[in-house]
Amino acid sequence: MVRVENMHKRFNGKAVLNGVNMSVHKGEAVALIGPSGSGKTTLIRAINGFVVPDSGKVTVGGKGINYRNKESLRQTRKKIGMIYQLFNLVERTSVLENVMAGALGRLDRGVDFISSTIGFFSRQERGKALEILGFVDIADKAYERVDKLSGGQKQRVAIARALMQEPELLLADEPIANLDPKTSSNILELLLKINMEKGITLITVLHHLDSVMDNFGRCLPLKTETSILTAKHAPLPKNASMTFMNLKGRLNAWQRKSAFYKAGNWIFRVVPFYRHSGHFLQDVPSGYRDAV
Amino acid sequence: MSHLDIGTLFEGFASSISLVREMFPPDFARWEKIPPLAMETIAIGFWGTILGMLISFPLGFLSAKNTSGNIVLYNISKGLVNFLRAIPDILYALLFVVSIGMGAVAGVLALAFSTIGLLSKFYAEAVESIDTKPVEAIEATGGHSLSVIRHAVLPQVFPLFMGYNLYALDHNIRAAMMLGLVGAGGLGVELFFQMRSFNYQKAAAIIVIMFVIITVIDRVSAYLRNRIIEGTFLNKQNRIKDFSLLSIIFIITILSLYFIPVSFKEIAHGMPRIWEFLNSMFPPDFSDISSYVKLMAETVGMGISGTFIAVLISVPMGMLSARNMAHRPLIYNLMKEIANFFRAMPELMFALIFVAAVGLGPFAGVLVIAIHTAGFLGKFYAEAIENVDPKPVEAVEATGARFIQRIRHSVFPQVMPLFNSYNLYILDRNIRASTVMGIVGAGGIGFDLVMSMKLFEYQKTATLILIILFTVMLVDWLSSYLRKKVV
Repeated sequence: MVRVENMHKRFNGKAVLNGVNMSVHKGEAVALIGPSGSGKTTLIRAINGFVVPDSGKVTVGGKGINYRNKESLRQTRKKIGMIYQLFNLVERTSVLENVMAGALGRLDRGVDFISSTIGFFSRQERGKALEILGFVDIADKAYERVDKLSGGQKQRVAIARALMQEPELLLADEPIANLDPKTSSNILELLLKINMEKGITLITVLHHLDSVMDNFGRCLPLKTETSILTAKHAPLPKNASMTFMNLKGRLNAWQRKSAFYKAGNWIFRVVPFYRHSGHFLQDVPSGYRDAV
Repeated sequence: MSHLDIGTLFEGFASSISLVREMFPPDFARWEKIPPLAMETIAIGFWGTILGMLISFPLGFLSAKNTSGNIVLYNISKGLVNFLRAIPDILYALLFVVSIGMGAVAGVLALAFSTIGLLSKFYAEAVESIDTKPVEAIEATGGHSLSVIRHAVLPQVFPLFMGYNLYALDHNIRAAMMLGLVGAGGLGVELFFQMRSFNYQKAAAIIVIMFVIITVIDRVSAYLRNRIIEGTFLNKQNRIKDFSLLSIIFIITILSLYFIPVSFKEIAHGMPRIWEFLNSMFPPDFSDISSYVKLMAETVGMGISGTFIAVLISVPMGMLSARNMAHRPLIYNLMKEIANFFRAMPELMFALIFVAAVGLGPFAGVLVIAIHTAGFLGKFYAEAIENVDPKPVEAVEATGARFIQRIRHSVFPQVMPLFNSYNLYILDRNIRASTVMGIVGAGGIGFDLVMSMKLFEYQKTATLILIILFTVMLVDWLSSYLRKKVV
């Protein structure tokens, strides 16, 4: 689904991404974790073209991203939903209007384009928006102004806007960093539910390993873990059923680890990520879900 | 209201442009007449501001709810400020010219009065919005109410006051250029004379001089205001620059005194004449009231249609002059300069040109209002667009929406309430401005006002002034009420 090859990016002469490789399969849920400044956000923003890498190649759905051509970039973005730390909603307008904005990329031609530009959307589109609001469990707020909502509710609206695009891929840039622990866990569960039920590939940036842990209780590293590690990283401890608590006690160590975690029925690949390190994060072995 | 459609509108702009073409090249033949007049203009603006400031200072505190100390005093001062504010500066000039005679003194007094209305309101608003904690702290020490003002209020509002003073000075020097149209001294006298004698090239020379002075003052005042607001005025880095700037301003001010024949004897002599003049206005003559009300309606119509056209011009202009929309420095800087030119040049100067181009009547007035306030709105809109929260804009871009869809669904919803508020403010301002357009024949009630004065029918003048005051205060109240609703 998404493939990043040898990506380099410098900001003001400082290397943020230094030859990063990553590949994410269709239907997979992947979390990028790592300390601030490690380039997590830069990496996912490069996937939908808000960051233009200095070198390297990104393919989404088998098609390479052309950063120079605005029109082709726009076509790529239509299939990629983006969810933000600060929700990025238009605060003064209603929930429904914000969700409708997600349909704009699809409605970019002919009558649809003109009517959406004026501000009119067809009954089907409105029905679809209400249905999605129901799915993210916030249908009762459809006609309220966004600035009246709580953080968690706002993030649900933002997720609904992304779903309105009918995306194949969801990018989430620290979607829970501004939320309290309880809400964070609900939002993460919602994202994973979308991934599971709708089969939409999910790549999310998470700042703390804690948020993964708190929400998913016991997280087990997969058997395949050792094969994921490249030679230059320290090997994981031998006890394969290491709990998350153990991991937490080894915060220094996790920065050097790449592993899959199981959470309920979901499999979560936690990708260690830090600056100045060229990872090659290998493909998920086939049938990994059965392996757990 | 005269017939107004798109065709006549374009014709109007076209004939104005051909008139402007006739003004080239500007004729500086009588150059030696200009510097003394320019100095006189600056002097009128400066001394009008100083005088207005001195009176505004106590009045500002008296008309602020938290420092007035006495509810009766507060209401009286606030009413007085609103009353003074409702009268346009050129109307003050007319009244002073008629009562104490032509010349710079009438100009200084006119600007002083309009400055009181302007600054007292600003001062009072600044005082009312202070942090109350330091006030309580001084009160807790048992301090006298004046020492509370001195030690808790004044330090908080001082930078704001200085900013407002500079704004008033800037505004008044611009206004002083036009007071000459009614004989209150300055460059306007000469401009009016040259326009009336169809010496458009000579008039153009004066306009060029005005433009230079306005631009310099605009930049200097913007520089000083930024320094004061940032609190970096006269700090180590800029001390030499700021100090030499201050010295130059000081020298020009002192020099300008030579060009303004202020004799206290003359002012003292004038005072009883003002009283006589006011006396001769009573009782107001209401015999023509129905035709005056009709004229006032036409005047309000001028303000409304001028504002409407200004909004139409300003939306594209504002977008093109916003950094985050136009992207190319050449485009947004150029558009900003154009908007700034329309905003900074006095509107009565535009009125003179448009009247010469399209003839007497309200049509000229509408064009003037449209052009002048398109400059204001273009600047305001651009600032609003530049301050848009970029986060939702990016989010909508991430959905793959086209440029125009992005504007409609992420920028538009954010700026709309601000735009509405600016439009209401400008509408209020324009209705006030349209009352004086008639002074140069650009339509509306102002023409009858001047005529009644020229014919010494002061009782009719009084009626007209009362109608203007009533309308302006009504519109002011309505506009501030609506503005509270939209934000």
